[in-house]
Amino acid sequence: MSTTFTPPRTIPSLSVPFERHVLTSGAILLVSPRAGAPVCAIQAHIRGGPALDPKGREGVAWLTGALAEQGTKRRTEEQIAGLLEPAGGDISGDASGLAGSIVNDEWELLADLLCDSLTNATFPAEEVRRQKTRVLDRLLIERDDPRQQGGLRFRKLVYGDHWLGRAAYGSRASMARIRPEDLRAHRAANWVGRRAVISVCGDVDPARVKRVFERHLAKWRTGTLLATTPPVLPAIEPRVDAFRAERQQVHLYLGHLGVRRSDPDYAALVLMDHVLGTGPGFTNRISRKLRDELGLAYSVHASIHSSAGILPGTFTAYIGTSPQHAKTAIDGFRAEIRRIQTEAPGADELDLVKGYLLGSFPLGFERSSRRTGYLTAAELHGFPPDHLTRLLHEFAAVTPEDVRRVAADHLHPDKSCICASGPLSRAELAEIAGVSIEHAEKPSRARRAARRPNPTHVTQAARRPA
Amino acid sequence: MTTELPVLATKAGASIRETALANGLRVLLVERHLDPVVAVMLWYRVGSRDEDERTAGVSHFLEHMMFKGSSAFGKGEVDRVTTLLGGSNNAFTTNDHTAYWFELASDRFEAALLIEADRMRALLLDPLEFAAEKAVVLEELAMGLDDPWRRLTELAQEAVFGRHPYRRPIIGHADALKRLTVEEMRAHYARHYRPENAILVVCGDFDSRSTLRIVESHLGAPWPAALLVDEPFRPVPTEPVGEKRFTMTWDDECHRVAMVWPSGAVGSKEDWVLDVVSTLLTGGRLSRLHRRLVLERGLATTVSTQNDARVDCGAFWLMAECAQGVAPERLEKAIDDELARLCDETIPAKELDRAKKIIASGEAYDSETVSDLAEELGEFAIDAHWRLSLESLDHIRAVTVAEVRDAARRVLATSRRVVAWSHPTEKQRKSPAKRAASSGKRR
Repeated sequence: MSTTFTPPRTIPSLSVPFERHVLTSGAILLVSPRAGAPVCAIQAHIRGGPALDPKGREGVAWLTGALAEQGTKRRTEEQIAGLLEPAGGDISGDASGLAGSIVNDEWELLADLLCDSLTNATFPAEEVRRQKTRVLDRLLIERDDPRQQGGLRFRKLVYGDHWLGRAAYGSRASMARIRPEDLRAHRAANWVGRRAVISVCGDVDPARVKRVFERHLAKWRTGTLLATTPPVLPAIEPRVDAFRAERQQVHLYLGHLGVRRSDPDYAALVLMDHVLGTGPGFTNRISRKLRDELGLAYSVHASIHSSAGILPGTFTAYIGTSPQHAKTAIDGFRAEIRRIQTEAPGADELDLVKGYLLGSFPLGFERSSRRTGYLTAAELHGFPPDHLTRLLHEFAAVTPEDVRRVAADHLHPDKSCICASGPLSRAELAEIAGVSIEHAEKPSRARRAARRPNPTHVTQAARRPA
Repeated sequence: MTTELPVLATKAGASIRETALANGLRVLLVERHLDPVVAVMLWYRVGSRDEDERTAGVSHFLEHMMFKGSSAFGKGEVDRVTTLLGGSNNAFTTNDHTAYWFELASDRFEAALLIEADRMRALLLDPLEFAAEKAVVLEELAMGLDDPWRRLTELAQEAVFGRHPYRRPIIGHADALKRLTVEEMRAHYARHYRPENAILVVCGDFDSRSTLRIVESHLGAPWPAALLVDEPFRPVPTEPVGEKRFTMTWDDECHRVAMVWPSGAVGSKEDWVLDVVSTLLTGGRLSRLHRRLVLERGLATTVSTQNDARVDCGAFWLMAECAQGVAPERLEKAIDDELARLCDETIPAKELDRAKKIIASGEAYDSETVSDLAEELGEFAIDAHWRLSLESLDHIRAVTVAEVRDAARRVLATSRRVVAWSHPTEKQRKSPAKRAASSGKRR
């Protein structure tokens, strides 16, 4: 055991062992056996998502996933809940498909119910009406929630009218227009074998998992592969928006269009992020400056790599602070971004980040759901079997100059969009941000949101946001 | 001390050993070799329960300061060392305890023990750092004040716990925090951060015998005798003599209600029965309140309950959001009707069995990672005894239909509850656009 706080110099070899099968239906099945796992997780990802929403009925893909386990040709919603819940099971869905977990010994029950929902969901009119009403009520409340509105308006500033610029569940108006037949049509057209990636992790026998899924999905329509078109996204330029609400704090978002996961600079950007705004604790520069030194906030962070996907993500710097600190916070974000663009980090700073990344990756795979999430991402992005080890080697090879270069190439502090929600008007924000009001986007009339309430704040307070 | 400790119990594939060092520190060694990971959690028996009006919030603020420098680990060093070793750390404060955790690869977790040993004995509490971190805590408090549920539950909590310190929010109040001095925090630290007031849990992939030697070498030094200080006065709430009601307003479209009843302490018979009651009411889609209020009658968008058992006494919470267009009185009447059913009618055995199975299945999730397991055992250990974590399912399985009915009658009586409503502001209610948006008819 080390007592000198020096991480091992060797780069660990890391993998999530799994078997890959193509089922008769065309679905890809990935199985990662894990002896002793108390929980089994299954994820059924359907390619497409909100991009497939019909115009005017935005939210169809999301509602299809959200309501798929509300009744099938074989079982009512009540029967599904009656089987699943006593076994510690749960299935939830969204625009990207379904995911569930269960006490490991009951994994075949979860497989059965999840496949039943995938292939036989009926979207009963009464269930759809009931659930839609709840969502509409929720959206009405969140229309006035500054935190929700700030995040949504920032996405709109960055992505414009592309579907990435809206919530997956659409707006109140589009949600109100969705009918049960829209959901049935979406499932029939898009929830097909060749668009599905199913990942399973638990204390399971892969051969048996394959037999079980073959049996349940034997009659699933194969369908066609997804046709995609390149996204048309707004140029990176400064735009400003604000959601005015009388609160103690203002939520500030500063950023712009980011990168794809396939970007060749991805590994260097991960390191840059950790130096700049995502390093754990207060080891990153933005947390150290804005929280630790200036005491501006409890919650502050910045990242470009964490949202990188098949489509471009965003660079987002966020802080929740008192309104009188808004200018200091914005200036602080810009100063730290410019600094990392002009000064390469010191060797100690980079060694710290490398120590973290090389040491923490092996810790990240304790949960079965984390493993299924990784397997699905690996399949969608086409990662090779030794991807994790390769990535660690890429991290180790990044130099201080690489970090400075990717910061200069990918960050645009003077062209960033800025959004505020809280006790600041758009004009006030434009003034403190030093952005011409002509650049300010008109506030979107659509108000959207989706977070479920979490009304159990009475029993804990923590040093950092969990 | 370094002789082989016997395995006292097993849980989720882990073998549990326990000992106490000569200085009074209790140590739980929980060996499980599923992953090459170790969680180190140090629990102190101190929380908002140990504060008075003058020092309200000091336990949570001190938790922040535990990362701001000790004798051997200067400011930022705890995070720097953790990060360099590829680990993670955090901390949290509750009403009854404060906990610090690390998760590290199993070949380097000794660093966490060194850090904990140093900051237990030699925290710097530098006045400049104290002032800077106070600003952060005040921002954290402001963030909470922007959350309507937090405001509502704090209102109800203040009423249900009478004169007990549990009535105060863990984070404290801005006026008390602003005037809190570093000397007051130093006294709080000296009094509570001592080995006999703490429990160390090490959980994961390690060897118990060699690890105990390391624990002893870092955390086993003798301590001077504790100062004799009066305990804060903690009067357990007396039996309520009638319902208390409060209302507040919030500028959104929602009617929210928090109901809370005083209840029993952690580990009491009532604690187990109320776990079952909570699951019967809101555990899953077939639970009574969710089924009736949300799915069948469309009166609420969400409803939840929480059995919040604490060391001295507890509270049973019920929280719901009104569906749009539903009068709050209708929702409250429907809640009352369901609670009355629980008190008056015999619960079908099948329904009780379902609730017990749901609770039992939660065990798998409570032990999925070494940090989950360390938290589960450590929390029971610091508040009562770790064996309760192992015995809890036996207690749950033993709950009878009659006990559920009796607990519902005794605890959930209308005459002993606090009801706090949050309604939309007048401006919100009068907005034509908002009236139009929420004018849908309800069954």
